[in-house]
Amino acid sequence: MTAKGRNWGTNMQSIELVAPRYGIAWYPWAVQYFFLIGLSYASLWLVIPGAILGREKWKPAARLALLGAVSTAIVAPVSLLADLHQPLRFWHFYAYPTPSSWMSLGSIFLPLYVGAVIFLAWLIWRDPLKARAGAGGLQGLIARGIPLGQWKTPRWLVVVVGVVAVVLSFSVMVYTGAEVAILKARPLWHTEYLPAIFLLTGVIGAAGLAVVINRFSGMRHPLAGDQMLTIILVATVLAGLVAAGWLAQGLAINDGSVAAALESVRDNAGWRRAAYWGVAAGILLFLGAGLMEVMGSLRGTRWILGLLALAVAWMFRWTVLMDVQTIAKHTAGFNDYTLSLGSQGLLGIVGTFGLWLAVVVVVNLFVPWRAAYGGRDGADTLSATKGEPSYG
Amino acid sequence: MELARRFFLQQVARVTAGAALVPLSTVANAGINDQPPRRGGDPKKRYAMLIDLRRCIGCQACTVSCHIENQAPLGKFRTIVSQYEVESLESGNAVQFMLPRLCNHCDNPPCVPVCPVQATYQQEDGIVLVDSDRCVGCAYCVQACPYDARFINDRTQTADKCTFCAHRLEAGLLPACVESCVGGARIIGDLNDPGSQISKMVEEYRGELMVLQPEKNTVPHVFYLGMDERFIDRPSAAPELWEIRDGEGQELGYEYAEH
Ligand code: SF4
Ligand code: SF4
Repeated sequence: MTAKGRNWGTNMQSIELVAPRYGIAWYPWAVQYFFLIGLSYASLWLVIPGAILGREKWKPAARLALLGAVSTAIVAPVSLLADLHQPLRFWHFYAYPTPSSWMSLGSIFLPLYVGAVIFLAWLIWRDPLKARAGAGGLQGLIARGIPLGQWKTPRWLVVVVGVVAVVLSFSVMVYTGAEVAILKARPLWHTEYLPAIFLLTGVIGAAGLAVVINRFSGMRHPLAGDQMLTIILVATVLAGLVAAGWLAQGLAINDGSVAAALESVRDNAGWRRAAYWGVAAGILLFLGAGLMEVMGSLRGTRWILGLLALAVAWMFRWTVLMDVQTIAKHTAGFNDYTLSLGSQGLLGIVGTFGLWLAVVVVVNLFVPWRAAYGGRDGADTLSATKGEPSYG
Repeated sequence: MELARRFFLQQVARVTAGAALVPLSTVANAGINDQPPRRGGDPKKRYAMLIDLRRCIGCQACTVSCHIENQAPLGKFRTIVSQYEVESLESGNAVQFMLPRLCNHCDNPPCVPVCPVQATYQQEDGIVLVDSDRCVGCAYCVQACPYDARFINDRTQTADKCTFCAHRLEAGLLPACVESCVGGARIIGDLNDPGSQISKMVEEYRGELMVLQPEKNTVPHVFYLGMDERFIDRPSAAPELWEIRDGEGQELGYEYAEH
């Protein structure tokens, strides 16, 4: 690009004098939804070995991941609803079901998934709840009421509901990826590599979330922390391989999404920053997790890596969903997007995280989730200052 | 980078190629993302528009008359004329290129199957419409249109776009843009009627007509005569209009209030 115009073949250059300007049509709410639902389905997968397959070693991790899966599953649909410009018309989804639309399919999968996860958590948490029936006040009231009777949760029921929830989590994973990847109008979205990276960054984020909950709930289970560390490491390597595959294949067969990405990185400083940031964060995550694997003494800082993992999952979705919308579709250049302060912007982001935190605090207050599948109810260790400092 | 750049240029150059990319077509065959049945409208007709660029002077009369007719919010356009200056580096001569843009009322419109509530639908006569009472404002269709023909109307909070002035066609009138076009560049009509002016012109100029982004396989039904093929994809031009920034480096944007 010269100072005045884009060089256009050998002897022409062109400048755009008049063109419409379009704002973005999906707001940061969409990022919040894709982030939370990705965390949710991937967290549920981390629940599988401990809760569904009954692997003893994975039970602490399953306790952490179940809290992550439920809390994000509850908040995700709220941000999805908020991204509609007519949220009160959400019932139209059910009045006019449309099999041709991934979003319409999603409107069926999502509530089923959320329902299954909540049901699973109820089944798992009602045993520790019953054990707390003697407590006073609201805690005791809830511990007596919520389990709906004294029966012991049969193991087969946990397995059945767990399998159903996992199947539904796959439907959510597939629809959220396909919904975006089928849009040929946006070359950067129109690639089957995108759902794969959504999935892997979802796993990275979910393991990060478990690490963070492990630290800040005071549970500080060293084995669970190590397991999550390994998952972050493996998922980061896989994500790197998928990204490399995308780039290599795109260069080889001239794929539209790679071409669009290279063009954006070439023409726009913001995109260059995003690309550098993404690569740097990926490498940092890889090195951090790798170092902690080999040097046990570093593991007390695992939670920092957990936060970085969450940041990577979030930033990826922000770049994909927000930044891609700033690339004009049939005009030159990039649309400016400045994050507004109101509910369509910053307030929405902060609000969703606040709501998530509130859900976690409420669950933590009323549900002895640490005691699930024979764990120790360590509600008294909630303060993060207690516990063994060498475990993150 | 040079290699990548060459690949990109190839990509841009491949303007007429057919289906090529669409690796997810297997999914479409399974029914998801297939076109739902058309509804309403006259099944005997197929409306289309031909824009004779040789006659367009870039006066934006169409833009203004559409705004008055259809009351789009300020800053949002159902139709607008993009304008470019193309300069020869050898002679220094500059020419203006005008590109009137509107919804293409595609025959394979990607905006339709994505709509989760079928608020966006195609009539039997080819016109693509939005039922604003049904639309939930999810903006999925806005993302799906490769031509930026759609937007969310801030007033109705629903999807909005050119309707070919279906309400005027029904009353036997021409669309506002066609009626107001100073040079008579916009021709609308029924492709199924061999006697219509558009049918005759399509016949006469068959080899010369172009549509926007043909490789996306949307089968647009707004045809351009006198088109430069370098503009049928996202134009490779410098966005001069947006280079003007305020002190903080922010775009100046539109400075007006809602009417
Ligand atoms: S131009 Fe866009 S809005 Fe119009 S029919 Fe085609 S895809 Fe749909
Ligand atoms: S914005 Fe309205 S018309 Fe567009 S896809 Fe969503 S519901 Fe359909």
